[in-house]
This record gives sequence, structure tokens and C-alpha cells, in this order.
Amino acid sequence: MNKLLLSAVFGLLLLAQQAWGAIGCTLSNPAQDLKYLFPEMTSYKEDAREFGKIKEGEKHFKNLKVRLGSDLDPVYETYETPYTVYTVFKGETVIGIVHGVNVPGKGGVIQVFVSADPTTGEIKRAFFQRIESPAAKQLKSKEFLAQFNGVTLADLYKHDYYKVADPKSEKDKLGNLQPPANLDEKGKPDYEASLRGIRKNLILLDLFVFEQKAEPFYQRAQESIAKFNAEAKTGEAEAKTEPKSEAKSE
Amino acid sequence: MRYLILAMKNLLRRPVRSALTVAGVSLAVAVAVSLSGFNLGYARAIDQSIEKLGFQVMIMSKGCPYEAATMMLKGGTGLLYLPEDIYAKVKSDPDIASITPIFVGIAQKEGSSIRDEDEGNKSFSIVSGIDVESFKVMKPWLSFKTGKGYDGGHWFAQDATKEVVLGYEAAEYEQRKVGDTFYASIVPNGKTEPVMREYKVVGVLDRTGTQDDGTVFMPILPAQEAFGRMGELTIIGIKLKEFSGAKMREFEARWLKLPEVQVVGLQQVKTTLVSLVGTAQTMVAAVAAIAVIVAVIGVINTILMSVYERTGEIGIMKAIGAYRGDIFTLIWYETLAICAAGGIFGCILAVVGSSGVEAAIKALIDLGVSGSIVYITPQVIGYAMLGAIVLGFFAGLYPAWRASSMRPVEAIREGE
Repeated sequence: MNKLLLSAVFGLLLLAQQAWGAIGCTLSNPAQDLKYLFPEMTSYKEDAREFGKIKEGEKHFKNLKVRLGSDLDPVYETYETPYTVYTVFKGETVIGIVHGVNVPGKGGVIQVFVSADPTTGEIKRAFFQRIESPAAKQLKSKEFLAQFNGVTLADLYKHDYYKVADPKSEKDKLGNLQPPANLDEKGKPDYEASLRGIRKNLILLDLFVFEQKAEPFYQRAQESIAKFNAEAKTGEAEAKTEPKSEAKSE
Repeated sequence: MRYLILAMKNLLRRPVRSALTVAGVSLAVAVAVSLSGFNLGYARAIDQSIEKLGFQVMIMSKGCPYEAATMMLKGGTGLLYLPEDIYAKVKSDPDIASITPIFVGIAQKEGSSIRDEDEGNKSFSIVSGIDVESFKVMKPWLSFKTGKGYDGGHWFAQDATKEVVLGYEAAEYEQRKVGDTFYASIVPNGKTEPVMREYKVVGVLDRTGTQDDGTVFMPILPAQEAFGRMGELTIIGIKLKEFSGAKMREFEARWLKLPEVQVVGLQQVKTTLVSLVGTAQTMVAAVAAIAVIVAVIGVINTILMSVYERTGEIGIMKAIGAYRGDIFTLIWYETLAICAAGGIFGCILAVVGSSGVEAAIKALIDLGVSGSIVYITPQVIGYAMLGAIVLGFFAGLYPAWRASSMRPVEAIREGE
């Protein structure tokens, strides 16, 4: 009994360090988690990806920041951060791609995963693996997450344009995106972080799996935004000069 | 010297056989060196782990260790607490060099799962409420991580209520930096629902290789308040002025009178841990002993074969004037050369393969210590070399005696 007690004391002191799991955005239990997402799955493959190991990695890393539209965390979203892409098979056929990313939430890390269609890259389902937030319950609600089903990276890029040029456009798949019901002020930073996580996830998935097929949409959206802004500026300038010329003519 | 040269030439006449015999001795020496390195390294790792706990003696509530470990393994809220006035009483003990009160609580963290059925599975983090000044005395090696995102880390003021310092792994797990916010869901004593509290990270500790890496530190009062356990402690950590068995027993006898506490010396924990792997060590030692015996038999066999093959040659050597002592020395040198070479290669093999041995041991059994567990010192290598030479000394006696006892005429006839 004495030995048991002593072992337990040391166990208490040592187990504490084992309470923390491994870092990195991998599924906690890939076999069970993927089977849960794809009940018809027969096998899966895990691929580790890093910017340092892909062609023109540095350029792609810089592009990530630009396409994300926000700074990357200098410690936890670095060039060296590893990513894991899960490819799900039914027999020989690929039936899904699953990928997760870490994004810093307000009070803890948020792990955002998506399962995507292997041909179109559309989100089949978005979900959180970990989210430490006062709004965790609301953000994890099926109603909120279901809004991302069917969304592609191209839709996010198009949304960038519509948000500026035509906020009420029916073509904007994300125009009607609603924050979770009952989301209070405290939960807003984590809501924003979650959206950032979805976007980051799709950008990386497009790079790692889909050979950047959404890139033309990004370029077009940026050109259109620039054009729209330029036209808006010209319009503003004209509006300003018109009254003066009217005054002169008077 | 000429005996040695002649012995080497003889060995090189059968290079494959000599090499295989050397390999046998090498393996035996490598096993013996690795085992000694493991014995030394494991004891050292335990010492370091205990030393890094900072205190030699803990006072805690009766039943606490078992409950705490069960709680750690299976979840639950089994930590037991001491009344804080015990700290005030023990503090005045004349044998105490330093003492620190520690409050430990378990904060709930969101579980890491995507499956709905795992929704209720919560993770946890260890929250330690500490008295910074006495804690620093107990663990002077604790330092703050520096670099991008971590510069400016410092301990919280004792009266700060919303500040935490994170252990290295706790910070990595939550991906927190200095200045970030940290959420902790804590169920106050007597309540059922957790309260999510918001803290500011004021520092991240460097890695220590101990339980501190996974701990969230905060001042003791806010920790007690958050857990609804004002005036309670989990552990009182103590360093004695003189840490010996006798002093420990005296100290224990004084404080075990208190009905609600137990006094645990970490030396006892060390003894228990060592005994836990004692059986495994004995088995490995037995394997090493068998390897050494097999190697000795191999060496004797090789040298004897070599002697029998050279019966005629030995007869001629004696016929032209070689003394018994010359033949004895020659054969004996051959044996010593094989064993010395085996010793050298064995030591090299053990040193080069130590990381592999360590990985294999760690994969096979959870030893409960962090850090390197195979520690090969120059003394170990010295003893191994000496052992190999002594092995050669004895292994060479019989073949050398056999060769030197041959009668020249009979030997020449047999050799034809």
C-alpha cells in the first residue's frame, strides 16, 4: 500500500506533464474521426505538408498572409508549421479530403477542420476539434456550421468583391452568413477567429491538394475590387468638382 | 613486443574466425556497457526529476496521493485539501530550510474531438496557486522563455488576481504568448457548473522537463478563490536543512501527530521507482551475464582450435628451442588481443548505439522519468575494458597451458 501511495505521488507529479497533448492540427483519433465523417470509408491516407517542403514555399507562405487578409501569428503560424491532409478512400475511390488548421482564438487555440469534396473542393462539413471560448457552444452549433456547407475558396474570394461592390448581391454565397444566435460581445473575437480559420483552411487546402485552382478567382476579385475602388474614387472626384464648375458657370 | 607481433600475425592468418570471435566479445561488452549506462542513467534521471521538484518532503492530506493519481488517470475531482493553518504550524519547524504552500486545482478544458458522442469528454489543465517568493526559492532554476512573442515575461505580483504564468507545454498546447488572454473553466467547490475565467498571460516558462511544463501558475489567493477553497492547500513543499534518513524520521514523527496529514519523503518515492524497474534490470543483467559467458566460451573455443591446428608448428617451435613460457605467452597474448579488440569495439558500439538503446527501453516500458536514461561515463568504459582484459586473462589460461604442455616430437608427428 505504501508503495502504491508513493508511486501515486510521483504519478501525480509526472502525469501533470502528460496532461497536455501533442501540438499541431491533426485529428485526435484519425481512424474513428474519419469513419464518423465518412461511414462508408474503407481506408485513409495521411500526408504531412510544410511550406518548406513544397516548391516556391516562401512565395506561397507570403501569399497565405495576403489571401488571408490578416497577419500570421509570429510564433504559431510560421513557415515551419506542419499541416496534415487526410485523404479518405472507399475501396480505390477517393471520397473526401479532411484538413485542419490552428488559429489563435482570444483565450486559447481554435482548431478548425473541414471535410471537402475531393473533386470540387467544396466544404462538405466544417467543424471544430477544439475551441476554448465563452461562445464555444454557439460556434459549434450545427446551424451555424451548416452555413459553410457547399462553400468553396472561390466563393470566399468572390465574397471579398461583393462585400465591397455589391453587398446585397444574390450571387454572393456568403452574403447571408449569420453569426450564431445569442453570440455576445465576449464571443465575437472567437467568431472572427473561426471565420479566419475556415478561410485559412481552404487557402491551404487549395495549395496542398487542388493545385491552386481558386487562384484565378482571387486575381479576378482583386482586380475587380481595384477597378471598383478606382471608379468610386473617380466618381467621388467628379462629384466634388461638379458643384465648383456649376458655380463657375453661374 | 615480438610475442605480440607474432600473436597478431597468427590471428590474421584466420581473419574471418578472429573477426567473428571479436564480434562476439564486442556484443557482450556492448550489452554490459549499455546496461551499466542504463543503471547509472536511470538513477540519475530519477535524481534529476526529484531534484527538479524542488522539495524533498511533502506534507499533504491523508489519502491524497492515491486520490490524486486516480483523478489524473480517470478524471474526477478527487484532490484532497489541507487546512491552511497547518502551513503556519509547520513553518516554524527548526529543521526546515525553506517551505512553500501550493494549492492545486483542476481546470476544465474543452475536449479534443470532432465526434458528437465525445462532446462530454473534457480535457483538463493543472492550475497551481503558489506563493511566488517561496516558490522561487524552492525552484531557483525556473526561468522565462524569451524571443518573439515571449519577451518581457515575469512572475505575477502576489496580489494580482487576473494574471497567470504558463509552463512551456501549457503555452504551446494553448498557443499562448506573453500578453495573450487565457481562458480557464473552473468548477468552484460545491457548484456543478464551470465558470469561465479570463486571465492575462504575463510569462511563459522555459522547458524544465518536469510537471511544471504543463502547469498554469497563478497567485495562491485567486486560485483558492476561483476554486472556492479559501484557506485550503494541496501540498506543502519542504526542503530540510539536513536531508538524511534520521532527520527525515524525526521530522515525520513530529508532524504525523497531526491527524489529517501525511509526510512523504521524495527519497522514498525514488526507492519505490528504482524497485519498480529492479526486476527488469535483473533480467537484463542476467542476459548480459549469459552473453559474457557465451563470449568467453567462444574465445576459448577459437583459441583452442587455433592451437590444435598449429600443433605441428608448436612442436617445431619447441624443437628449435622455444620454452614452455614462450608458447604460453604467445597463445595468451592472442587471447588477450581478441578480448581487448572486442572490448574496444564493444565500447564504441555501446556509445554509438546508446540513443537507440534508450529509445528501445522507453518504447518498451514507461519509466516515469524524463531526460536521458542511458548515461555512459568514462569510468563505465574503463571498467568494461578492464573486464574484457580480465576475461581474456582467464579465457587464455587453458589453451595457453594446453599448447605449452605439448611434447615436441608428438606434436610434430600429430601435426603432419
